[in-house]
Amino acid sequence: MDFSILTDNFDTYMTGFFNTIKISLIGLVCSFILGAIVAVFRIAPLRILNFIGACFVEFIRNIPLILIAFFFYNGLVAFHINLSGFVAGTMALTIYTASFIAEAIRAGIQSVDKGQMEAARSSGLTYIQTMGYIILPQAIKIVIPPLGNQFLNLVKNSSILGVFAGLDLMYYADSIHEKTFDTFNTYIFVGVFYLVLTIPLSLLVGYLERRLAKTE
Amino acid sequence: MISFQQVNKHYGDFHVLKNINLEVQQGEVVVIVGPSGSGKSTLLRCINRLETISDGKLVVNGITVNEKKTNINELRKNIGMVFQHFNLYPHKTVLQNITLAPIKVLGVEKSEAEKTAMYYLEKVGIPDKAYSFPSQLSGGQQQRVAIARGLAMKPKLMLFDEPTSALDPEMIGEVLDVMKSLAEEGMTMVVVTHEMGFAREVANRIVFMDEGQIVEEGSPKEFFANPKAERAKLFLSRVLNH
Repeated sequence: MDFSILTDNFDTYMTGFFNTIKISLIGLVCSFILGAIVAVFRIAPLRILNFIGACFVEFIRNIPLILIAFFFYNGLVAFHINLSGFVAGTMALTIYTASFIAEAIRAGIQSVDKGQMEAARSSGLTYIQTMGYIILPQAIKIVIPPLGNQFLNLVKNSSILGVFAGLDLMYYADSIHEKTFDTFNTYIFVGVFYLVLTIPLSLLVGYLERRLAKTE
Repeated sequence: MISFQQVNKHYGDFHVLKNINLEVQQGEVVVIVGPSGSGKSTLLRCINRLETISDGKLVVNGITVNEKKTNINELRKNIGMVFQHFNLYPHKTVLQNITLAPIKVLGVEKSEAEKTAMYYLEKVGIPDKAYSFPSQLSGGQQQRVAIARGLAMKPKLMLFDEPTSALDPEMIGEVLDVMKSLAEEGMTMVVVTHEMGFAREVANRIVFMDEGQIVEEGSPKEFFANPKAERAKLFLSRVLNH
């Protein structure tokens, strides 16, 4: 392994690394919020919302991420909307991940025994109160593991931004590669940087899982 | 207090409740018995609109249940309900299970709600379990907590949906005892149960259902000694002779 690749291009690596963190954090927060909203759409006692939610999920999750990204980057130009690679890529990543998160959250909510909803509602609590105090706190335990998987996927999928001018870790690695022609060493360090991000995230998810299991 | 007037309910093609007419007065204990699938639980669940009715009229506490403008949460806070599978909130302690609705629905102060909760836990005989989680309790204890949870709302009416069906035989007595003392204090109760001993001893009136209809209605004395309908005779001969 040639560490000079790393030391010579350290600043370039770092720029990409921190952009990847930025993309991942934005994607994580936004896809969680969007996913939660879509999940609520899918189970709300209103047919039209169920339909909108189902359309979103089935449409988005059944298209390759790279096509969604190209749509935001190239496709929107037809509508005179020019997005930078960074913005287009982050948006694509967010809505793509949101479709999977919506499914995870929906499954979690629906796996809570329906007697819980009945008991809470029959005591006079509203639908929203019941969701907030009774259903979601129980669903979150079930949702944590699949949610963790989606967040890990999100960090790794962010590498797709390298395909166009996404300014992420992969994009800068490509530029280092073009300069050095050292494929092996250039991308070995990219792998290490991704692991630096994903392994702590993985451990955090495991920790949350164990902690929530204890309060049962 | 409860009035069913020509109530019908359909699940698609299935006619679950057929022309139900039933009156329950304040302070009455009405026990609904009948074979499985006869619509007993559905009838009970209509009272607080866990099930909606297809036609007819249902009035509870002076409120028409099946009207669009009815504030269902307003109606429900005066009706306690106890389920077959307890349905305690597993992520909350016994005390939190009991105080949640009084605090959030009635707007009672937390300390006040806890005092009330302890009073009812005392009453059902398990004040020492206040800080336990439901999973740490036996089935009988869980069901007694569920009753305390219903009572803490100080309801005008309590509904019991097969409260002992999911219990070990040894635990049935402790739950029935609580229900008995509740009845003696004058609580209006509608109970769906297979416990014929309880029905005979505590009910003011027995309602016998079969295939979605009320087939027979009367005092426990006449119902058990001298059932009129053939279906009721058959039912009683099967449940009592073993």
